[in-house]
Amino acid sequence: MNKFFCKKGALEISFGWLFAIITGAIILFLAIFLGSKIIGTSDETISAETGKEITILLNPLETSFESAQKTSITIPSETKIKNLCSNENPFGKQTLQLDQKRFNKWSETDIKISSYNKYIFSEEEIIGKRFYLFSKPFDFPFKVANLIYMTSADDVYCFKNPPIEVKEELLNLNQSNLLIENCPKESISVCFTEGNCDIEVEYSEGKVTKGEDIIYFTGIDDSNALMYAAIFSDKEIYECQIDRLMLRWKEIIILYNNKQEILQKTGCDDDIGIYLIAFSDAVKSVESSQDLFSIKEDAKEIEILNKGLECLLW
Amino acid sequence: MVNRNHQRVLHKSCNPTGSRRFSKKGQMKIQQMAFMLIAVILLFALVIIFFLAISLQEVRRTATMFEEENAMLLVSKLANSPEFSCGNSFGSSRANCIDFDKIFALKENLNKYQNFWGVTKIYIRKIYPNDKVDCTEENYPNCGLIKLLDKNVNSTSFSSNFISLCRKERDNNLIYDKCEIAILMIASEDKG
Repeated sequence: MNKFFCKKGALEISFGWLFAIITGAIILFLAIFLGSKIIGTSDETISAETGKEITILLNPLETSFESAQKTSITIPSETKIKNLCSNENPFGKQTLQLDQKRFNKWSETDIKISSYNKYIFSEEEIIGKRFYLFSKPFDFPFKVANLIYMTSADDVYCFKNPPIEVKEELLNLNQSNLLIENCPKESISVCFTEGNCDIEVEYSEGKVTKGEDIIYFTGIDDSNALMYAAIFSDKEIYECQIDRLMLRWKEIIILYNNKQEILQKTGCDDDIGIYLIAFSDAVKSVESSQDLFSIKEDAKEIEILNKGLECLLW
Repeated sequence: MVNRNHQRVLHKSCNPTGSRRFSKKGQMKIQQMAFMLIAVILLFALVIIFFLAISLQEVRRTATMFEEENAMLLVSKLANSPEFSCGNSFGSSRANCIDFDKIFALKENLNKYQNFWGVTKIYIRKIYPNDKVDCTEENYPNCGLIKLLDKNVNSTSFSSNFISLCRKERDNNLIYDKCEIAILMIASEDKG
């Protein structure tokens, strides 16, 4: 027994070996652990930076007297943009979440970039490297916000038999994924007359049908802002953004009411305060896009009243 | 305890003299290894802390850069947003025109708009007369500076843009549109 333990060939690990094994294991473990963490963090950083960059680039889409503005964004790697919307007070929130493709695999990140003054209408998830954006003002009857429509360059929309004003607008926009003729087979068809299409628009009825979903739109002075919103976005996103627009609308009407008080001090004797309050109450009843029809006439009336004022409110 | 005794027995049996010197040397080596391991771990911890500090600094710098970029792009377009714009109140539609009456009404009711534009300061200053008196209910419209949003946080330098500041003015019984040149100034949060 004693001879066995005293033999040089027995399992006798010297201090040097033991130290090297333990520290080597620690170094390897730390290197692998930190490496994976750094790659994960770098993915999240890239997603956050790209998301923020997109949100910032939406600022120039604010229109003044032009009817539409457009821009495009190109991202180096294939990106999945998730459009998230929440309608809590005071103005709801527009959130973008980006996942990018790395080594043929989506990097799932939990980074969300939010803004309160943007209204993006798109599918819940859009994938691509290049994204087209255009915006139009939403007037009801005064300007409430700019609506931004975001589509992937990979998704080609084919508008079949659109009304003349829509056709002219699409031609003026000159956006390469919004076509009127020579549409590729795999394009998303948008019909304005009856037909077997992916999206059916009943223009005069203010109704867009997408599969089983029905979305309603309306506008004043032939504004098609909500029609485009209905075409390019999911029903959930659309309804949520309508709620957010109504929240902002209510604040703006308070602003005009207060402005009128200031104007009265200047000497403008007009007073449409009671009409504004009544209209505001009517807007409070809007719970979905379908309810917009019920306040359209009120909006038209209030616009006529404003035009008759000595000191215009908007 | 049992193991230590066993070790001693082994050492004694392997060492013909049976002295305790060999056992003490072993203990010294174990202590040496423990100290070395602690030193290596500390070294790694320091390197990681240093790396994280640099990364965090970089992230903060990037965040501030984005905020500045946001302020710069926002200042060129904010005048056209519905809370600021003149709309058709002063005849035809105008670009970069801010309705002074509307802005003053907004200042009095700004609570809900605190985070709306994602910036920390929004000032509007008349160019002439160069009056730096803050607008209040008492001195409106005879004032030169309207601090619409003024959050008490570290802010970047202002990005600015020239705008026309219009309001209704009364001269005897005549009400007319009065437009003055002003600067719209926006600052964002300095996260660095």
